[in-house]
Amino acid sequence: MAYSAAQLFVDTVDGLSRRAPAIVATAAHQLGNIILALHFGDGSHGALRAHHSQLLASVDRPAAPTVEAYFDNRALNLLFDLARQPADQLLQASLDVRGERDDVLATWRTFRLLAQRASGLRAIQALWREYREQYPDVFGQPANPSIPDVGDPAFVPPRGTGWQALDYLDQRYPEDNGAVQSTAGGTILVQSRKLWDGRGSHGWWEVTGTLDADLLEVMERAKARVQEEITRIIPDREPKAYLYNLIRDYPSRGGKGLRPTLTFATCAAFGGRSEDAVRAAAAIELFHNGFLVHDDISDESLFRRNVETLHEAHGTGLAVNTGDALNLLAVDTVLSNLPTLGLARTLGLIHEIIHMCRETLEGQAIELGWIRDGIVPSADEDYYHMSTKKTGWYTSISPCRLGAVCAGVTDPHQLNQFNEAFRLIGIAFQIQDDVLNLVGETELYGKEALGDLLEGKRTVMLIHLFREVDSATRAWLTKLIRTPRLEKSQSDAEEILAAMRRVGSIEYAITLADRLAHEGVRRFETDLEFLPETEAKGILRQIANYVTTRPL
Amino acid sequence: MPAVLRRDDSLVRPHPDIKLGPFGPFPRAPQRRELDRRWLHYAFLSRDNRLGMVSNVAWLGPAPEIPDAPQRVTSILLLYKRGVGWLSSQWNTETTTPLWSAFRQPHPFSEPGRLELRATAESPAIRFQLQRTSHPCTSQCAAFARDQHFRWQSETGVLAYGDWTFDNEVLRDVPAIGYHERVRGYWSWPELGGWVFGFANDPATTAPGAPPPTAVVFTLIQPPNPPNATAASVMVWRDGHLRRHFPRRNITVAVRGELARDRVVTVPEMAKLFDIPPMAPIPHHLMITGRLGADWIMLDFQSETAARIILPSETGIDPCSVHEVFGPCRIEGAINGRRFDYTTFGIVEFTGGAGGL
Repeated sequence: MAYSAAQLFVDTVDGLSRRAPAIVATAAHQLGNIILALHFGDGSHGALRAHHSQLLASVDRPAAPTVEAYFDNRALNLLFDLARQPADQLLQASLDVRGERDDVLATWRTFRLLAQRASGLRAIQALWREYREQYPDVFGQPANPSIPDVGDPAFVPPRGTGWQALDYLDQRYPEDNGAVQSTAGGTILVQSRKLWDGRGSHGWWEVTGTLDADLLEVMERAKARVQEEITRIIPDREPKAYLYNLIRDYPSRGGKGLRPTLTFATCAAFGGRSEDAVRAAAAIELFHNGFLVHDDISDESLFRRNVETLHEAHGTGLAVNTGDALNLLAVDTVLSNLPTLGLARTLGLIHEIIHMCRETLEGQAIELGWIRDGIVPSADEDYYHMSTKKTGWYTSISPCRLGAVCAGVTDPHQLNQFNEAFRLIGIAFQIQDDVLNLVGETELYGKEALGDLLEGKRTVMLIHLFREVDSATRAWLTKLIRTPRLEKSQSDAEEILAAMRRVGSIEYAITLADRLAHEGVRRFETDLEFLPETEAKGILRQIANYVTTRPL
Repeated sequence: MPAVLRRDDSLVRPHPDIKLGPFGPFPRAPQRRELDRRWLHYAFLSRDNRLGMVSNVAWLGPAPEIPDAPQRVTSILLLYKRGVGWLSSQWNTETTTPLWSAFRQPHPFSEPGRLELRATAESPAIRFQLQRTSHPCTSQCAAFARDQHFRWQSETGVLAYGDWTFDNEVLRDVPAIGYHERVRGYWSWPELGGWVFGFANDPATTAPGAPPPTAVVFTLIQPPNPPNATAASVMVWRDGHLRRHFPRRNITVAVRGELARDRVVTVPEMAKLFDIPPMAPIPHHLMITGRLGADWIMLDFQSETAARIILPSETGIDPCSVHEVFGPCRIEGAINGRRFDYTTFGIVEFTGGAGGL
């Protein structure tokens, strides 16, 4: 069955949602409340609308579209191809957009964003190349004029025929295949630019516009690189069965790779080599896993990433010891930077790590104290405070700061520029994680269903629920959350969930996370404006927007 | 009636140590102002393209607060070995005195000279016998920012034979070919803006001691002010003589992509002690075209690895960054009806950053 243009469009938007949240969030903001009907030259139809910061595309015809757009094959040909003319130079009569004037302009801005920023992603290029190859007759030659082959000895370049370095560059390297991939780059195609054409001059250092990156690909690479380093770090010695095999367990269960991506990208964004940040990124992962082992014991959790928790599988004694060993190994990993990064940066890393651990332990203490004493705070701010300490520092703020230190930055003012943006993003991320625990699929989330409700975790939803319910329900809830986890049943958790749905706690949390994430993105753009536009900064930007576009 | 010009003898007094060619673009006058600069620059690639060397020795004007202090000299030596990486001295390389220079007159072609540069830590170091094969270009000049200027004169096809010292290894009797340049000027880094500069010698040899069949030197200097101050040139040598100078209106320069950060090292080592602002990515591809009547040239360079040299700026907070970039290079062209093309490795400098990004 032929791959329709509408399906291609849907796959493109889906791909962008996973790979380039910053583009999708910006495009969704432009699209606003518009419901867009798309009609393609091959007879297929699609729909596009925005929900919060997400773009939802589907292969169907919306009932009451605000704007309708028609693409013929030529227009489609040009929409997502960096080697061809950008979307605002489409051929006449090949694209028709109808609707209210402001809506048409908003749609046009959305297309422009998708076409010009998203077209740089290699993965999106590959998607469209595959589609074009399916219909070789429909798609013509690239828009750039063919350039005479200078390999011909008799060739004498004629005057005034566009014999420019820019043309040659595009002709010789239409897809820049020589780009080196790294843990902080190589996922986008960057358009050629002229430095000098005999008249006008642009410095090679003058990078204009916003650079993006393929977050999905970068996270995969970062995750793999750190995993490789952790494998190298963990000693291959006895006692394997009681210690070293257990140490390998949690790190090998995988994850999104968000923390190492932040560390690598920040290091590169400050002009450092992302390879110099490998050990710092590995150290954070080791600390993280050490915390998780202990956390699972104190939370009495049964599963971690769909597999038995360490204490369930091996007993609490060995699990506690493994958590301690992971933390020790993390300290050792930080110190191993000494020969390569030197004393100053290693001291800077130690300082950051100590701060990160202190914040995490304080946050954990606050939450465990609340649970022991049966306290549910009444204000969201109390949750922000606890969440930032417990997870915010080590999941988002510290990875950035550590990456910057690896690049040689020790100025507290510059390091502090990350704090507010990533504090907000971290809180939003944690709220979303808590929402996913309640409404997400266990398969995707990796933790047991409603585990947070069973363990009485203080989430924004629970705080909102306690605020909104009447006194009788609050008394019932108070009694329930004070019940030890092992005495709670699944139906208890489901009753709490039902109460949350009744008072709108989940929708409240989603909206709150969206608001915090947007404020975080705004702070990212203002506080980190001093960083030059590079692909590494593009990665940080994608992560900043990741929270806003995560499917819930 | 012409004005009576009084000659100021103090301005033409020969320098006791360094004698750099004729009066005029490269006067023997002492450097009186802080930003008066004089350089000798060397860059070599081994014949097998496995090794690269860049060195710059700079004589600076007196510091304003201590005008009678000894002249300030900085010198750096940078070695590159493929598969191993870059090795750099600090800013205090020990040198032979006087330094070898093709511009020190008289300088017969057949007379080899000695060039020795050594980090105080003993490594990196080089000990070369150098021999000229070519004639230099006429002096080039970029003028900008009211009274600032940058003058340079290039000589290609310098042959080198000698020892390269890396940390634990001395590579002996390595034949190499390279480039030599002298610079004189008065400039501050923010006012200069940045430049793209490079050279590529045809690796083919016709006879021992013979010049490369073809050699190319290109320069693009981009001061921010005044608006039309960009200086650009591509020069082509054939058999040791400058045959074509493509002027700035006849040149185009374009770049694409970025070199992965992991392929860029920051030098000298001491620079890592300070907070260094991030620099724009180094382009991955550099393409230069030139044409003049029926003559034309195209240079296609791909960055493979780079060393970022940190130069403190005397007049601003941001340092100037000189990226010495090593990579494969393809040259094609035609001069006077004769076609030439060759593939080799080149060294390109991408410089800038002192004016902020």
